[in-house]
Amino acid sequence: MFLGSGGHTSELLSLLSDLDFSRYFPRTYIVSDGDALSARKAQDFENNKSNKKGSYEIFTIPRARRVHQSLFSTPPTALRSLLVCVYHMMYTGQLSSDVLLLNGPGTCFVLCISAYVNRFMGLPSPKLIYIESFARVNSLSLSGKLLRPFVDKFIVQWPDLVSENDRGEYHGWLI
Amino acid sequence: MKRVLFTVGSTFFDELVDSALSDIVLEALHSRGAEEITVQCGAYKGKNKELAGISSTPVLSWNEEHGLQLEIYAFKPNLTEEFMRADLVVSHAGSGTIIDVLRLGKPLIVVPNPSLLDNHQQDLATELEKLGYLKATTPRSLHDCISKFEAKELIPFPQKDKGKFQAILDEMMGFD
Repeated sequence: MFLGSGGHTSELLSLLSDLDFSRYFPRTYIVSDGDALSARKAQDFENNKSNKKGSYEIFTIPRARRVHQSLFSTPPTALRSLLVCVYHMMYTGQLSSDVLLLNGPGTCFVLCISAYVNRFMGLPSPKLIYIESFARVNSLSLSGKLLRPFVDKFIVQWPDLVSENDRGEYHGWLI
Repeated sequence: MKRVLFTVGSTFFDELVDSALSDIVLEALHSRGAEEITVQCGAYKGKNKELAGISSTPVLSWNEEHGLQLEIYAFKPNLTEEFMRADLVVSHAGSGTIIDVLRLGKPLIVVPNPSLLDNHQQDLATELEKLGYLKATTPRSLHDCISKFEAKELIPFPQKDKGKFQAILDEMMGFD
């Protein structure tokens, strides 16, 4: 699971809160560099979760783009983030899993690409699920638009966001 | 509505704070029977001098003119208890706060922040108002919204459908 900070983290933890953790283990919470709050929330969440099995880990990756970072300086930062993710997805396996849950923002795109690098190399690669925020009623977020063509399952929480030609599933509210 | 809570969330929303502490809004609150007003004002940088340097230590005062007790602070790590105590919550339109307040069954007025660049908060507020779960207004019309507010006209917000995401994930991952 990638915890993308703030509202992204809260929504993802809400999705996970009723999940049967005796089926889903071991669990890795991926947080962005400097997002201590999400790391703490993940810890509290695991401590309070009942019916769980196996261990969990919190893994920190560099941000693809810092808040307010100029567009000009983003590419090197994003590249560094990508290389770190590819390394841990492919080589150390610390980011490899059966399924990877994403709900934004930008840095989750880097994780998606890393999973694809593994796929192209014929290596085990996680199934990718993107869950668009409950806050998105009429239009997808930027990370939603970016990831929609690539993920294995693209879930939205408002009916207007599914159209016939696009990928996307609506199952009502999930959080 | 005896206790009313205003909250701007984890950043700032000076227009909402200014509106909350304006004479017309305080008067509207008083006329609706409010006695205790709490304002979580965030990182306020606006022109209200009384709020300069406000910290997370609550400041209590008595507003003689409108007969209201005011409690103001910048942030609180967890507002759940404040939501529980309140008879009405007036909030920014962040989805996390909206869900928390509505799931506690508390009457809610949301004020989307008009200065947000990508204003999807407005969309969410409009849609949830259309469905009857809350009232949405602007900083300028807040007094009017409070004057006309009727909690019993709101539709109870559904609790979380707990098995849903599990079912989607189980199906994808091959669990029965």
